[in-house]
Amino acid sequence: MWRFAWKNLLTRPLRTTLALIGLSIPILGVLGLYSISGGLKNLVDDTLEKIQGVVVLRENAPSPVFSSLDPEYVERIAALPHVKNVAAEVWGFPPSVEGTSFMAKAASTELLGRLRGQTQQQRMQNLFDPVILSGQDIPAHQGLQTAVFANALLPPDQGGGRFLDHRDVGQNRIVISRKLARDFAGPDGQPKQVGDHLTIGSGDAAEDFEIIGIYDTGSMFLDGVMITDIDVARRILNVPDTMVSNIYVEADDPRRMSEVASAIEAALPDVDAREMDELSTDFTRLLGDLDKFLLMIVSLALLVGVVGIVNTMLMSTTERFAEFGVLRTNGWSRGDVLRLVTAESAYLGLWAGLVGSVLAMVLVALGNQFIGGGLKLVLGPGLLGFGIGLSVVMGVLGGLYPAWRASRLVPMDAIRLGAR
Amino acid sequence: MIDVVDVIKTYRRGEQRVEALRGISCQIPRGACAFIVGPSGSGKSTLLYLLGALDRPAGGSIRIDGADLTGMSEADLNAYRRDHIGFIFQSFNLIGNLTALENVLIPFLPRGVSASLRDRAEALLDEVGLSDRKHHRPRQLSGGEQQRVAIARALIKDPVLVLADEPTGELDSKTGDEIYRILRRLQTERATTLVVVTHDRRFIRPDDLVLEIQDGQLLTDS
Repeated sequence: MWRFAWKNLLTRPLRTTLALIGLSIPILGVLGLYSISGGLKNLVDDTLEKIQGVVVLRENAPSPVFSSLDPEYVERIAALPHVKNVAAEVWGFPPSVEGTSFMAKAASTELLGRLRGQTQQQRMQNLFDPVILSGQDIPAHQGLQTAVFANALLPPDQGGGRFLDHRDVGQNRIVISRKLARDFAGPDGQPKQVGDHLTIGSGDAAEDFEIIGIYDTGSMFLDGVMITDIDVARRILNVPDTMVSNIYVEADDPRRMSEVASAIEAALPDVDAREMDELSTDFTRLLGDLDKFLLMIVSLALLVGVVGIVNTMLMSTTERFAEFGVLRTNGWSRGDVLRLVTAESAYLGLWAGLVGSVLAMVLVALGNQFIGGGLKLVLGPGLLGFGIGLSVVMGVLGGLYPAWRASRLVPMDAIRLGAR
Repeated sequence: MIDVVDVIKTYRRGEQRVEALRGISCQIPRGACAFIVGPSGSGKSTLLYLLGALDRPAGGSIRIDGADLTGMSEADLNAYRRDHIGFIFQSFNLIGNLTALENVLIPFLPRGVSASLRDRAEALLDEVGLSDRKHHRPRQLSGGEQQRVAIARALIKDPVLVLADEPTGELDSKTGDEIYRILRRLQTERATTLVVVTHDRRFIRPDDLVLEIQDGQLLTDS
């Protein structure tokens, strides 16, 4: 019967192809969205893996940029059991870098990119990169085991320079990422190097910074950060010395991280002490909600695809009334006719799923050529299987009503109707 | 033996109630060849379809070899048609995208086609003279060849009853003669009961049973 169903589809190739396209595009959409979502999840996990400690923020603050804490908390946390290192940080958006503000930069990314002769890949990366200034308590950070940016410094033979140390306290010296070095390239198009200078702020408030180090974490979430001394950052960001953005904490034993986080939250009720596992779980939950929202949008496209299948199968069954009558006279039951038509629509769904999957594989491969910043779209066998399965289910659903209608025909009437 | 007792069939056509068959009773012995004749609209095809369990009468009963068709469930009727009744239509009604061989095997497609069934289908096509046309599709066959495929399809299940509705209606007289020769030969060899609806009385032989219908009533039973 499956072979018969397959032959029925091939009888009208144009109609079959159109219905197939109608369903394969939403399937492509589903796979595309989930591949982006999966890529983001992997990127976040990779990024958080680099940060091993506990980040202490004001309660419910989404990130260090939007957090403010009393600097006295540093000493209170340091006094807690099993706390080994405590390092205060100030975070914020700098008013402007090299004469370009954050908002202006976002707005002019495409235009400037084109004028500078940047590749499409570079221009797309620029869309994801707000520049953030991080001020570190340098002596405290020097004691950290898991200092993300210091550990990501490029090797000397690649122009990595050095990280901030006691010589840089109170000095206009800065460490930037390889990506920012490229984004703020000189007039000759050459990326900034160690020893070059960078202007932060504008007008009378503009300050000149010497670049002393270049790092590369490979994550778009981290590579937009410029690091300098905490007091220098306070001056640039207008942050009073009565506050810090967050406090980075390491335990004497990494296995005691949860214990330390709980102790911090117990001692300081107005803070969140976030472990990276916890952040990862939060982000996964957020992505899950985003997936649901996106799936609702894609469902509309899926619905249109299913309506296309219904239409195709209705036309097909209406043209074949006499055929169904003949099948019934030859002992086919209503269920047999129902299965035949449903098998045809299931085939349509299967092929739409395969076409959608192949298109998604091609587009993901192309996308991965153009999107950088550590984001790799993910389209594994599980997701492909889900896409094909979803397409088959949609195909079957689309075929149910036409199949039911065909199966309800009285054989005699079917033959007479078909003969007209 | 086919035993038809006081069969009534009515239709609704819009507001009108049409009495297609008005109390028909007849008996057709097993292995006989019966012709249902009469003017258009007299109820010939309606009676044929009722005999073939394609529809249910409004009254009366139909028994074939003791099996009461009027008392059967939908599923039993399907099974009865599948296993015991062969149909031949005026316009052949082959499935266009299946080969001649696959068309013969249609009754068995839902439950799978065994090698022995395939052999039987091929043998039947040989018997109707289509041994070299088994893998041709209907559009590649002449009208006469298509009707021979339909005959093979009707006989593949070794039916107790073959019902033919104007089987030569769309064929020229020479091809029509050929079709009747084949039908007669196979019916005699298999001792199958054959019931034919026709306008053309030249195929009727003296020992055939003729059921003449007019206005839904049986005029003769000879």
